[in-house]
Amino acid sequence: MSSAANGSGPAAGAGSAGAAGGPEMGTASPAAGESASLAVEELVAGYGEVVALDGVTVTAGAGGITAVLGANGAGKTTLLRAVSGMIKARRGRILLADHDVAGRSPEQIVRAGIAHVPEGQGVIPELTVEENLRIGMMSWRRGPRADRVAALEEEYARFKPLADRRRKLASTLSGGERQMLVIARALLARPRVLLLDEPSLGLAPRVMAQVMDLVVRLSRERGLTIVLVEQNARAALAIADHGVVLNLGRVVATADAASLAADVALRHHYLGF
Amino acid sequence: MVEFLQFTLNGVVFGMIYAAIALSLVLIWRGTRLLNFAQGGMAMLTTYIAIEVIYKTHSYWAGFVIALVAGLILGAASELTVVRPTTGKPELNAVIVTIGLLIFFEGLAGILFGGQFRSFPAGFSITGLKVGGTPLGVSRFDVFTVAAVLLTTLILAVVFRYTTAGLRMRAAAFNATIARLSGIRVARVLTVGWALAGLLGALAGVLVTPSTFLYPNSMDAIFVLGFTAAVIGGLDSPAGAVIGGLLLGIALSYVGGYLNSDLTSLVALGILVAVLMIRPNGLFAGARMRRV
Repeated sequence: MSSAANGSGPAAGAGSAGAAGGPEMGTASPAAGESASLAVEELVAGYGEVVALDGVTVTAGAGGITAVLGANGAGKTTLLRAVSGMIKARRGRILLADHDVAGRSPEQIVRAGIAHVPEGQGVIPELTVEENLRIGMMSWRRGPRADRVAALEEEYARFKPLADRRRKLASTLSGGERQMLVIARALLARPRVLLLDEPSLGLAPRVMAQVMDLVVRLSRERGLTIVLVEQNARAALAIADHGVVLNLGRVVATADAASLAADVALRHHYLGF
Repeated sequence: MVEFLQFTLNGVVFGMIYAAIALSLVLIWRGTRLLNFAQGGMAMLTTYIAIEVIYKTHSYWAGFVIALVAGLILGAASELTVVRPTTGKPELNAVIVTIGLLIFFEGLAGILFGGQFRSFPAGFSITGLKVGGTPLGVSRFDVFTVAAVLLTTLILAVVFRYTTAGLRMRAAAFNATIARLSGIRVARVLTVGWALAGLLGALAGVLVTPSTFLYPNSMDAIFVLGFTAAVIGGLDSPAGAVIGGLLLGIALSYVGGYLNSDLTSLVALGILVAVLMIRPNGLFAGARMRRV
């Protein structure tokens, strides 16, 4: 089964979540760049002999949240890794605003406007918080230092706990602060599409809710196109506009998030709630 | 007491040379988890280049500078041509490639320059310095050796700590995946790391060879001592490499001075084995804090 394009803007129903915000987070700023749609067409990718994605087609509409769901081994993380260039697509196209980026290196893809926050390994603990953030601007072309300082301060305003700890080693941050740090670093790359792999992994429920609120705010207020991979399907569908369910490297369902959440059989077979 | 001072100062001088080799190994290890067995061969080859330039130009400093530049180029070229193709392959492939490079460099030096022992000039006087009539056991060239390695180390430390290029290199060394996803061209960074390692090796070569002789295998023993220093300090720790070099140099100087110079290689091996058994990550490997 192939997916239908989302193509729509943010769902009105999620507005309340976006307005909530986390108690530790500051206000979001306007979008840094125009949003863009992401379309993956008939993608085949894998590791050695293993085919982890077998003709996957997914479309993430500009400015919306697309949840990618499925059990362990479904191919969710591989999908993000293929889109960001960490593994080579063997076949298929990856269209960022109609430009095919398949086959490009991760360095080129982040410059094109796709930032990937990988699962559980985003922080470099040996570096300070500020150094971790500065890495996010490595994809920028040369420009005035003032622009970089302003961009950093913008993220510090958005993530106030990071501002207080900017000189501390990232290893001293809590799980929630680390997640803020990796998302802030990804935002500093000025992406048009943000790939988030299990952002709630290992977080306490309260912190997880804050992270989910943040994801919504980034989409609504900054206009980012977000592809969200989550084991917690219930939480992901609650904030997403659109959902895609993978199983063993193939798309088994795609629809708006509310429809997926209402499909009892699908939830029972693939989503675990 | 005077003997002790002389042995200590002499140990500091040789320790700084071991530190330069150790630092070059650490630079590559941090970025690639690869022990560059060709490091001594690269240092030897650049020292041959230096001596040829010195003979032709009659200028020590021309040879010194050309050796450093040659080290940069040789390091980068080695990474680009034979090491990079092993990326993504089994780790042993890269190790074997560096051993092959060492054999190639030593064979090439034998073909180009012959196998005979050659002396290498010093940039400053090698007459021992005295303070109030008391010989210190070190010369002006020894002072230059210590200053040159310290200055190079300091420059590298400043570049790594305070510049964007240094941050790029540290990020690539600590987590290549995150670095790539952030737009850092990790392959290019690794090439720069190899180039800097080549420069440090070249520096060690031109500084140590006036005390020894130059021949195709002349840096093998220095490489082993530099490796020992790196293991003492921890292959992940640039500061540890320098301290490890100093500790090893001073320890071997005491052994050579108070016991027997024939024992130094044996003691170095003993230290290497002891460190690997007792503290395999090195004496100065950073303890990583993790908070979940």
